Amino acid sequence: MGFEDRLRRIRGQAAVPEVPPVPSLPDGPTLAERLRRVSTGRAVPEPATTRTPDEAALAAVLGADILAPGVLRLERRLDARLRHGRGMLGSAHVPQHLPWPPAEASPGGSGLQPRPDAAEIGEAGSRPQLAPTAAHSVWLCLDTETSGLAGGTGTWAFLTGLLRAAGVGWCLRQYLLTRLDAEAAYLDLMGAELAPDAGPACLLTYNGRSFDAPLLTTRFRLAGRPDPLAALPHLDLLAPTRRAFARVWPDCRLATAESRLLGVQRADDLPGSAAPAAWLDWLRRGETGPLAAVLRHNRADLLSLAGLLPVLDAVYRDPAAFGADCRSVAAAHQARGDQAQALRILAANRRDLDAAGLHDLARLYRRSRDWGRAIGIWEELCARGDPEARAALARFHEHRSGDLGRALELALALPPGPERERRCRRIAEKLERAGRNLSLGELGVT
Amino acid sequence: MPAPDQAVIRLKARLLRSYRARICGDLVRPATAASLLDLPPDLAPGLREALTARGLPQLYSHQREAFDLAQAGRHLVVATPTASGKTLCYNLPVLDAVLRGGKKALYLFPTKALAQDQVAELIELGRALKTAGGEGVRAYTFDGDTPGDARKAVRTRGDIVVSNPDMLHQAILPHHTKWAQFFEGLAYVVVDELHSYRGVFGSHVANVFRRLRRVCRFYGVGPTFIFTSATIANPAELAQRLCGEPVTAITESGAPQGERHLLLWNPPVINPDLGIRASARSQTTRIARMAAVVGLKAIVFARSRLMVEVITKYLKDVFDKDPRRPPRVLAYRGGYLPSERRAAEQAMRAGRVDLVVCTSALELGVDIGALDVAILNGYPGTVAATWQRLGRAGRRLRPSLGVLVATSDPLDQYLVRHPEFFFGASPEHARIHPDQLLILLEHVRCAAFELPFRDGETFGAEDLTEMLSYLRDQGVLQHQGDQWFWVADSYPANAVSLRSVAEGNFVVIDTTGGTQRVIAEVDWSSAPGTLYVGAIYMIQAQPYQVERLDWPGRKAFVTRTQADYYTDAIDYTRLKILDRFEGRTCGQGATANGEVHLVRRYPGYKKIRYYSHDNIGYGNIDLPDQEMHTTSVWWQAEPRALESALPDRAQAIEGFLGAAYALHHVAALRSMAELHDLGRAVGDGQGTWFAVTGAEGRGQLRGPDNAPVDGEGVDRFEPTLFLYDNYPGGVGLSAPLYDAADTLVRDARDLVAGCACTGGCPACVGPIMPGDEARAITPRAAALAVLGLLEGAV
Repeated sequence: MGFEDRLRRIRGQAAVPEVPPVPSLPDGPTLAERLRRVSTGRAVPEPATTRTPDEAALAAVLGADILAPGVLRLERRLDARLRHGRGMLGSAHVPQHLPWPPAEASPGGSGLQPRPDAAEIGEAGSRPQLAPTAAHSVWLCLDTETSGLAGGTGTWAFLTGLLRAAGVGWCLRQYLLTRLDAEAAYLDLMGAELAPDAGPACLLTYNGRSFDAPLLTTRFRLAGRPDPLAALPHLDLLAPTRRAFARVWPDCRLATAESRLLGVQRADDLPGSAAPAAWLDWLRRGETGPLAAVLRHNRADLLSLAGLLPVLDAVYRDPAAFGADCRSVAAAHQARGDQAQALRILAANRRDLDAAGLHDLARLYRRSRDWGRAIGIWEELCARGDPEARAALARFHEHRSGDLGRALELALALPPGPERERRCRRIAEKLERAGRNLSLGELGVT
Repeated sequence: MPAPDQAVIRLKARLLRSYRARICGDLVRPATAASLLDLPPDLAPGLREALTARGLPQLYSHQREAFDLAQAGRHLVVATPTASGKTLCYNLPVLDAVLRGGKKALYLFPTKALAQDQVAELIELGRALKTAGGEGVRAYTFDGDTPGDARKAVRTRGDIVVSNPDMLHQAILPHHTKWAQFFEGLAYVVVDELHSYRGVFGSHVANVFRRLRRVCRFYGVGPTFIFTSATIANPAELAQRLCGEPVTAITESGAPQGERHLLLWNPPVINPDLGIRASARSQTTRIARMAAVVGLKAIVFARSRLMVEVITKYLKDVFDKDPRRPPRVLAYRGGYLPSERRAAEQAMRAGRVDLVVCTSALELGVDIGALDVAILNGYPGTVAATWQRLGRAGRRLRPSLGVLVATSDPLDQYLVRHPEFFFGASPEHARIHPDQLLILLEHVRCAAFELPFRDGETFGAEDLTEMLSYLRDQGVLQHQGDQWFWVADSYPANAVSLRSVAEGNFVVIDTTGGTQRVIAEVDWSSAPGTLYVGAIYMIQAQPYQVERLDWPGRKAFVTRTQADYYTDAIDYTRLKILDRFEGRTCGQGATANGEVHLVRRYPGYKKIRYYSHDNIGYGNIDLPDQEMHTTSVWWQAEPRALESALPDRAQAIEGFLGAAYALHHVAALRSMAELHDLGRAVGDGQGTWFAVTGAEGRGQLRGPDNAPVDGEGVDRFEPTLFLYDNYPGGVGLSAPLYDAADTLVRDARDLVAGCACTGGCPACVGPIMPGDEARAITPRAAALAVLGLLEGAV
């Protein structure tokens, strides 16, 4: 039976909705028609219209060069005195305080812990080697715009913006993919900037470690090319920003960081979420306007990234001056083994610390054997009824000052539980050995 | 106490002596000796030592055969009985390849629990390898529970990754570049429980494998597929359809087996007029008691969690009356805490338990030690599952006894009267339809996301260019140069469930206590018949009532309830034949197969009380008509022959309805489908009238608007019996039914003719009304007349 016959049969019945005429193939209904028939419930969308894009026109609008068919590059030199928000964009900054030396690229992976059954089979995960910050004085800021946030092999990084330190200023290069079948050329040209022979560099990104870099790695793999990112050390500013501000700011997006730390207010910025549509509008209909806005947005992101580095460095020197979370910043220093820095920051902000912060500070004093200051904090907290401070004091008097009477007094005031029982019993036994005749029962210890 | 060998034989003799009339089949499968072969000569270093250390100095013949085939790079499927050592059939070639250097393997299991058991076993083997001085082997599970920070370790370090088809579909393939290292070394893909990949699920998975092989080609590898399967009629064919390449089947087991006895047990008829039999449960508990009394260990399989609890209670009332003594009876089912289950397994392995009552949860994998007797309370749905359950008894070469106790379901009744289903060649053909249009299109979409298609590539049997052009028109792809590139901002695999056909499943949300919790998913096509306001929706015997329906949002909101009734939607299905693909005469009628348009209306539902099955009320359903295009097989009787066989048209209609009921059940059996995978209807094929069973139990004709039609007034009276594929577009169930049409009619006639009732009953032609059995032509006789015409036996 031919397609027309089948269609007539279906239409002949009232219960079936009217079908718009569809071009038929000689040997049966079209795929769209067949799908419409078996698809119950969901409307099949109308075909999208298409027009051929004009690459030369786009290059002219953007002020970019056509490097190869389908690959455009926009290049600018930026002076070190260029202002971005409140600051100037020097490129020679060497972080002194950021406790985040960039992770050195290592073939072993990014330091993820293996899962338990991995360990069971005798395979240990390895932490990446950390290199000293100062070795990487040439910063290479990287930011991509993508066809979506879904991730996976179907997401394109159609725009890669690179900002490389050049002398005291910067060199900006944005690589734009304008034809889908030109991705290999695009990756070759852009990848050359990341390759070792382009000079030693350290990647600087904002959320690039978990988004931009893996995405580019995927694209290089799909194109059958070696991944130049694997060989570059990488400093991602999202982690230190989160550490310092997660509890202070509503969110830690780049836009928030740049407005709060750099004083940058973007006028008529295209939101990053509009980038996929802008690129699709170009691919489908050759629209150039939205794509130009995407390039502007990407440039602004790169400048903020460059501007954030020295400011974040300053945040880690003096967090209070930027309204950052002092305790969290100090903890970051401590985790990197820099106790002096952690102590300096907490001590300087003692008045603003909450109980947990005070405990951190007391712990640091104790470790540096500054018992006087440590006791000062514990006494203060103890007076506010803090059980942890009371326990610390009890420990101090039991083991260090030898004032067992005071130790017992403090221990008896601890919250009930096995911990209290153990401590009281032990102190009482010590007192007994010391010749003081006290029965445990008298003390309420059973 | 006698030796267990003797005890099993004596128990059987006693059952035969005391209950001769209830036993409709007594089958013995003789013991078989082991067929052993040497380990392959040049195994990887350490492997021979590790196997010997684990008590495996030799291989069963099928294990060696599997190894040799795998070594030669041939795809294979091992379909040997339960407990024949199938695991080693794939572990050996895989370990050999891993230890020789750099090769990887992907293991796919349909469930997470099975995957975890497998990893535990591999870890054991890895230890033995290390003890033997060889390299270890790294096996990791990769499933929804794998934490994000461990995934990278799995991807880059795993020699063997144990996962499931859903993870492959949604997490691995769309991110294949992250798995590049793994794919570059991929030598084997192991697919366990092949027989569960059938119907919609199998059709999806075949496409997931098309995508997998495409990705493998990208990385320059062509892995060998190793399948294992329960005994089904077509393991090689199914495996071949799944992986798209020729597959060799190994069906001869070299594992030794004790003597196996199987009794098919039909409870006695207690009301011959209505064909009502004693409950299967009462028979099951009786047999279990007899086994325990003579000191045998028995396992009882029930079909629902509720039945597990009921049987356990009855047995505990007998054996565990004294609370000071350790329990002899134990229940085991899903829904228990893992710790409870582990403790139960421990107790079973240690032999502290005499009677285990369980659901299918104990059908596979879990090690519970040796048992003597397996009692199945009701047919599990497939012959393959029956054997898997029976395989739980007699693991250690001792004689074992299985008893299948039939319920009054038609399938049970049919099977106990046909022992050849259990001891002949397997009757079950697992079917898939990977080129089902909607399923195929979804996977073309996913595949295009993973790697751009090139002009001239193929994917499935449809014209790929046409599908790609369609997706381009939807704005998902762009064609440039000779490639089709993905450009949409979406992740298509997330929108595709491997267990349904494309229309978006309904989720059932429990709102009891003010919180919202998803408790079930219902396939789009069965949603209107199960999820309507007022419906009682059962999950593991817990009733929930549907309170609100969000039709466009595909959500049903339910609350827990205590109803003593269940609901049954009344549906009127009208079918219209659109296209006849093929047809032939069949007895004094004709059968054909083709495309149909189906309109289903749900005007209301009945409330039916449990146990008594009284109809205690009606409710209205307010849903739009459901329409579907699908495939169907149908039968028609030659009008004059029909008129002479059944002159009364009302009786003819009743005959067709009864015949449809019987055919529906036997067709589900042959095609390994669930009953609801198929639909049945009786009409004229033009949509002018269709037949229903009215409220008073008589067949009625209705017109397109559901108004009653007088059968005697119809011009061309040509009743047509349809069995249709109950999925939009069809999933390939009806063509094989057409091919087997003659067998089906014969089976259905056997079912009705062999039934113990007088005038018809739920075990043959469906429920009848009191008094029907006294009519001159009973519903059963009418159905037999129709089936006789179709069979050509009249």
